Amino acid sequence: MSRLERRYRLLLRAYPGDYRADYGDELLDVLLTRAEADRVLPPAREAAALVVGGVRTRITEAAQGHAWVDGTHLAVTALSLVQVAVLIPYAGSIPLWVAIAGVAFLCVLRGWIRPALALSVLTAAKVTAITLGVQIFDPTLLPIFPDPPWQNTDALYMNGGPYAPATSSILLILGLMALAIRGEPLRHRSWWWLAAVPLVAGADPAWHDIVAGDPGAMLRVGLETALLCGAAYAGHLTGDARWALAAGVYALPCCAILVENLLYISRQEVAHGMLIVLLALIAAAVPYRARRRILL
Amino acid sequence: MSRGSAVSEQTYFVLAALLDGPLHGHAILKRVADLSQDRIILAVGTLYGALDRLAANGVIVVEKEEIVNGRKRRYFRITDDGRGLVEAEARRMQQAAAVVTRRTLGATFT
Repeated sequence: MSRLERRYRLLLRAYPGDYRADYGDELLDVLLTRAEADRVLPPAREAAALVVGGVRTRITEAAQGHAWVDGTHLAVTALSLVQVAVLIPYAGSIPLWVAIAGVAFLCVLRGWIRPALALSVLTAAKVTAITLGVQIFDPTLLPIFPDPPWQNTDALYMNGGPYAPATSSILLILGLMALAIRGEPLRHRSWWWLAAVPLVAGADPAWHDIVAGDPGAMLRVGLETALLCGAAYAGHLTGDARWALAAGVYALPCCAILVENLLYISRQEVAHGMLIVLLALIAAAVPYRARRRILL
Repeated sequence: MSRGSAVSEQTYFVLAALLDGPLHGHAILKRVADLSQDRIILAVGTLYGALDRLAANGVIVVEKEEIVNGRKRRYFRITDDGRGLVEAEARRMQQAAAVVTRRTLGATFT
């Protein structure tokens, strides 16, 4: 195998595995036939086209099945991820609840909705109790302080009120209930979702880390923005509303944070909230526009 | 191609390349380059993305598959819908071109 072929094979990994198995060799044959004899690096234009083509194919393949079912699954995956990631810095004080939220997130990822629903209800009840300063299920010393390396983070739910976390929990539970009632088998979400957990861990539920300009918070805002832009791009490409639904559900707790903290809110928080709402609105609008028949 | 058009210029030339008969991917690339006088050189990833979308829309179909040097090769054929689409686009462009050429050529010969 030549170096050029090895590099093209690497680029072809942008395509989904089953597509690669069916057509990867065909594409490779054309790529190698077109290449000059002494070439060892793929031309930048071909490389970019393969990456874009692979991403587009992945998105097109993802737009299968009922849009609202898959969109709801995507939304509850994001909400469940945030729920566990917010609790992780406090694992030393509330290990049981971090474990329950973690298992709930894994169940959501694997599409096991009934256990995910039961565990998410328990976590939501505990989180709501913590925000209200009430004891439930087990005695918990309040406020809950973070473990290293998050010792500079505020106590759990110290900033903001109880309504925004409750909105997030209610949406998560309602989404899981809708999926459980529907009873349709769900796809397994990618393990890549786990890579987002360390990026979101330590996020302040009331966005005070954004006001402080914390580098971790900036990284999280970057990830959030990239995913919402990705949702808009996927809707534009397929004319399918599943990503818009997920983006909209994700934006609702953000609106709750803005409303709940209206009196104390800073410019950074307003800008962050408006960015999320704007991107969610764009994601909602593009599928309708994309339904005009554009073939290439 | 105008924004109101159903096909882009690249799609138009891919479909035009298939009007004379089924072709495989590499042959389509060469034919598109010939027809457009080397103005349109498609990248392989772009071509196959377009072929997938055209096939999903029923504008082209896979006519046959053969194995060459141990690798699969698909031959694509334009459907009646695809032929109608590219012909309608050609008529639309001809009409649009006539709006200008009627005036400029008319001015030349008067």
